[in-house]
Amino acid sequence: MDETVAEYIRRTVLKIPRDEIKMILQKWGFLSEAQLETINFHQIKDNISQDVVQLCEENSADIKQAAVLDIIYNNIYPNKRIWSVYQMNKTGEETEFFDLTDFKKKFKRLLRSALKNVTINFREYEDNAIWIRIAWGTPYTKPNQYKTSYVVYHSQTPYVFISASVLRSNLPLLCQALVVASNYQDIREMELRSHSLNSLKDIVFKRYSQNFQTYCPRPLTERNVAPETVDLRIIQENRNEKERIQRLNREVFGDGPQPKIEFAQYKLETMFKSDPKMDVLDKKEPFRCLVKFSSPHLLESLKSLAPAGMADAPLSPLLTCIPQKARNYFKIREKKGFLPGSFVSP
Amino acid sequence: QHNADPQKTAFLLRKQWTLYSVTPLYGFSSAHLKHYARLLSAFTAAEKQKGLAVEVGVELDIKVTVSNIPDLKGSDRDQDAILVQLSLRSSASQKNSEEKLVWSGCFCCVSGDHLSENLPEDFTCLPLFLANGAEGYTSIVGSWFQKTFDCCFRRLAISPLNLSWMAAMWTGCQVDKTTSAMELVFSAPCLPYPLDISYAIHPEDAKALWDTVQKTPGEITQEEVDVFMDCLYSHFHRHFKIHLSATKLVKVSTAIASAHCDGIIKFLQSKYLAGVLTLLTELAISQIQ
Repeated sequence: MDETVAEYIRRTVLKIPRDEIKMILQKWGFLSEAQLETINFHQIKDNISQDVVQLCEENSADIKQAAVLDIIYNNIYPNKRIWSVYQMNKTGEETEFFDLTDFKKKFKRLLRSALKNVTINFREYEDNAIWIRIAWGTPYTKPNQYKTSYVVYHSQTPYVFISASVLRSNLPLLCQALVVASNYQDIREMELRSHSLNSLKDIVFKRYSQNFQTYCPRPLTERNVAPETVDLRIIQENRNEKERIQRLNREVFGDGPQPKIEFAQYKLETMFKSDPKMDVLDKKEPFRCLVKFSSPHLLESLKSLAPAGMADAPLSPLLTCIPQKARNYFKIREKKGFLPGSFVSP
Repeated sequence: QHNADPQKTAFLLRKQWTLYSVTPLYGFSSAHLKHYARLLSAFTAAEKQKGLAVEVGVELDIKVTVSNIPDLKGSDRDQDAILVQLSLRSSASQKNSEEKLVWSGCFCCVSGDHLSENLPEDFTCLPLFLANGAEGYTSIVGSWFQKTFDCCFRRLAISPLNLSWMAAMWTGCQVDKTTSAMELVFSAPCLPYPLDISYAIHPEDAKALWDTVQKTPGEITQEEVDVFMDCLYSHFHRHFKIHLSATKLVKVSTAIASAHCDGIIKFLQSKYLAGVLTLLTELAISQIQ
């Protein structure tokens, strides 16, 4: 077995939390049950990975099998990477029958015609997701297995999720290969990025509970609330205000859990407006700002701002539109004409 | 303005310094710096022996230097600044062995007359301490100074109020190449999921705003700082409906310098170094009193 393959397998196993190693190796299926029985999964990870490599040596593992193990790891722990969303389009309404074999053939052919040194592996999953792993080389060097890009393509949809890694120069080629292989005409990057692959899918596939813009006739007061045993001496001040905020929040964010994104960025090119009494800046040019929000769970965090008294309810549509518009990078310019103070996001 | 040689103070630039306030040092004399270096060296070696983890195999010598920097002060009434540096030297080959600077600490007082005015003679007033390097070394050096000169070190916290002052002051400074934005970082840690907001304004636009707020050049009032910050808050609110004033301002970054509420500073322009140090000296003195 190649030295580099052995080292790659060893490092991949080391990334896996100890309790999950056996399960992942079973999913991989390259080592037999009997072989797995011989490994002591309670020893330290260093030793476990050495044992695994030993067994892989016996089975003469090559880079193809090692790549599959890597795909499985990234499929189970996708949140270690940052994913961008791309949308493909084509004219013509007919949904063509998707031929997986044809897709794989065309994809490999296009990449290999441009780059001799590239490792390409595919794995299909039950949710119609095709995972593609690409390790990039150069005309003079072998593919670097540690600098890989991942593509997740749901063939029933025009969406592709890409985790490009450091070698962004290969991105145009990758996009071209996807378009050609899937019989689309072009592809564009959406302004939507996150560590949480599932949340990105939720957003573009509209799998989160969306808020409906219809008027909600005060369900809070009409509901049968179980009587709490409270001290009657404690009065809830501003109860109406609190309920109003809750209601507006629900109208704007919906009832269900929010998709998980970690950041949103706004490039503001709007005018600075102030109270004329304050006698401050009155320029005819935009007040240029860059605003970045970050949180382990941004949308839930934003949802909690109004109830915490830190924001008005309803929160600005610039923030609440993130799931519907399927983007978290915005450029905001002043809307000219009828409505002063409203914003346009191109 | 003191005629300082910018070369002597250049070591302060573009490094991250952790700030402390230091109470006056008793029995300190700038005539004995070499002696202090020897004592501190022995102390450091002893602390190492006590069992700080050291790389196995390579015996590392710690060399201590203590020097004074006459250029680092605001007026002649200020004490000379004192610089302490720790370097690692591989004792394998004594001659020509490479020395690697691993830790620096600087005691200074820039325009801090009001503290030193009423002090008895035996006390030396150097209220501001800046440390760069591993926390472990800061701890060792700090302990030695505390024991030897009966002083007390405390981390210098910078309040949102003081950070706003810095934002306003530094925005107004004239910079040759305006490349860095004026950035304010806010934090709302107490939410179910903590939120951080970075609000960066193009330096020309920020300066244009400040120039219309500041009424007298060379003078800044609290009211002007408040108006400046309110303008920025209301511009933000207009877009996002979020009250930045309800969050905590934790960091300010400009082309001049950047400051964090935990008492961490980075100086970026030698032209304004003295000005920032004057402000920090004042904060240190307030914390001591």
